Amino acid sequence: MIFTLLILSSAIMAVLMVGTGQVRSNIIFYSFQTLLIALTTCVFAYVENEHKHYILALVIFIVKTMGLSLFLLWLTKRIGTARDTGTFLPHPLAMHLSVLLLIFAQILSCQLPHLSKLEDFSAGGTAGISLILTGILFMLTRRLAISQVLGFLTMENGIFLFALTQASGMPLFVEMGIFLDVFVAVMISGLLIFRIKHSFEHIDVTLLTSLKD
Amino acid sequence: MSLETIFWSAFLLPLLGALCAGLFSRSSLSGICAIVSSWMSLILLTYVLLPFLQSDKTVLFFSSLIVCSKLSAAFLLLTVLVVATALTQSYLFFQNEFKDGKLHQQKHICWFYSFSLLFLLAMMSVFVSENLGTLWISVEATSLLSAGLVYFSRTNHAIEATWKYLIICSVGIAFALLGTIFIFASSQYGAVEGGSLSFAILEAKSALLQPLLLKLGFIFCLVGYGTKSGVFPLHSWLPDAHSEAPAPASAMLSASLLNCALFAIFKVLKITNLSSCGISCDRACLWAGVITVLAASFFLIKQHGLKRLWAYSSIENVGLMMVAIGLGSAPIFFLQALNHSIVKVSLFCTAGNIIQICGTKELSHISGLLKISPLNAALLLLGGLAVTGTPPFGTFISEWMLLSLSVERHFAVVAVIILVSLTIAFIAIIYHIGRMLIGNVRIEKTNITSIKYSAIPLLLIIVSVALCFVIRPELLGEIK
Repeated sequence: MIFTLLILSSAIMAVLMVGTGQVRSNIIFYSFQTLLIALTTCVFAYVENEHKHYILALVIFIVKTMGLSLFLLWLTKRIGTARDTGTFLPHPLAMHLSVLLLIFAQILSCQLPHLSKLEDFSAGGTAGISLILTGILFMLTRRLAISQVLGFLTMENGIFLFALTQASGMPLFVEMGIFLDVFVAVMISGLLIFRIKHSFEHIDVTLLTSLKD
Repeated sequence: MSLETIFWSAFLLPLLGALCAGLFSRSSLSGICAIVSSWMSLILLTYVLLPFLQSDKTVLFFSSLIVCSKLSAAFLLLTVLVVATALTQSYLFFQNEFKDGKLHQQKHICWFYSFSLLFLLAMMSVFVSENLGTLWISVEATSLLSAGLVYFSRTNHAIEATWKYLIICSVGIAFALLGTIFIFASSQYGAVEGGSLSFAILEAKSALLQPLLLKLGFIFCLVGYGTKSGVFPLHSWLPDAHSEAPAPASAMLSASLLNCALFAIFKVLKITNLSSCGISCDRACLWAGVITVLAASFFLIKQHGLKRLWAYSSIENVGLMMVAIGLGSAPIFFLQALNHSIVKVSLFCTAGNIIQICGTKELSHISGLLKISPLNAALLLLGGLAVTGTPPFGTFISEWMLLSLSVERHFAVVAVIILVSLTIAFIAIIYHIGRMLIGNVRIEKTNITSIKYSAIPLLLIIVSVALCFVIRPELLGEIK
């Protein structure tokens, strides 16, 4: 029961993230979401008695919950953007849509085959798919470059959760490589966001349309 | 020294070169360092891999994660060759930019060389990965490292192109990661205890993999790596990145990066071969390729930028390679990649020279090239003919083999669609080139480049002609 609760609350954090336009709150919701995923990984390690997952949980906590969140908060402060006004969907409507996506994710995950030994973690499939879909929705409904990065990170969280619960986690060195790539990707996008702010005086990616066929 | 040591040093050289190139503050020193390390790496790899390519062995085993098949050996050599020639050209290219007053910061160029070599290292590791996970990590690393090359000129356009490139490719590649997980999960249903990501194991146990998960995995990998290789309709980042990067970087992106992503698709497709969904996966690749070729040829008609033109021509060639992958023919896949890469490096380098001479990359502003610079005009024409598959260039042979194979496999419709697309592409490219070559000289100040700037494109065109006469199907039969 506790697993289901932990796993689903990470998906709910993503739903709440879609619901607010404050960039700071978005990042804080992301941070909570990764914290819950780190806890899930810990519980998973305990149940499966696999030590490598403790390491993973620690790395998630240090890199994502602390490192990336603090970096993004610092970036928001330096750039001085507080709100994302959103694109075609108002935030409350997008939040309701993401709740529907959660239900849709449940239907999808029921279609997938499950390994019997991981019965407790079947909610992981739902939460994973829901996080991926919510991440995509977040990227589509936001204007700011920093929100695009958050959407991508949410997607990546979903993929990690899915791998953990549906395939008992990838080999450790692969997971570490993925973390490194994601970490570097966020750092590079961060630097790029600085340049975008410097050159265009805004970070609204919907206005970056000068390159066309 | 053992072969293994030499092989590892071929990987170590770009890394060392990147470190040195980044540390130097003078661009010429940094450039020489980059050129020397990339050519040295090519020499070492040729020493190790050429005897292997001629031997009866099927794989070279280096460690449990690093294995080199004949196809990867061939691609490895091609990639290092492309990067080494592009870097050599970039040395001359940047010299000219300095002379023209377009560049002021030496350090930016040093970073360019450093990133190029790291990018090369990431691409090399794509080809020797024996594991779906490390393959994904390497492909993602190629995007991250090449973003620095697209960003090079630091103009608003370059920043926009880099942003689009980074976000679109990262999201695309995230789908490929999901696909990787599906395939990993599919191996846990009786095929391998605890699951496996190793290509050798997955290929051998293909028939035992859970079919639904495998199919999902393949689809996500196709979408993910397809985004990276510019398959229509996921190609939107490609023309922007290619046109905003400096010409030698565009050459590297087009002639080596796209091959990496296609190689990843090829490897994933091989896993599905023996399973129940193998045929439908082949078909998905085949039709994705056909649609890409057709769409790219229409896009070629209304292009306004010189480098965008070659970018769309790359998309067209990616489509052709996808068709070869879908037909399950590794030799034709490699042959098409080889011919396309050689010609595309030449074309992008020539495009760089022409843009330096005319001061613009807009097709409508370039005219009278035959009068301004006959050598570059001739190279542009020859390159244009070569890339559209006209004899006597190597591309003709590979496209011919592809068409005859598709007819042989009873895909006459595919052959017809490709033939129509190739014709449209030929007309479009020759029309654009014709408009650039003839007409009045409209530019006032010209920065005429000497013959040394065109030496590399010229050599590559000659290589392309030579390939037409050298390549025989039997020679390639062994590449798997």
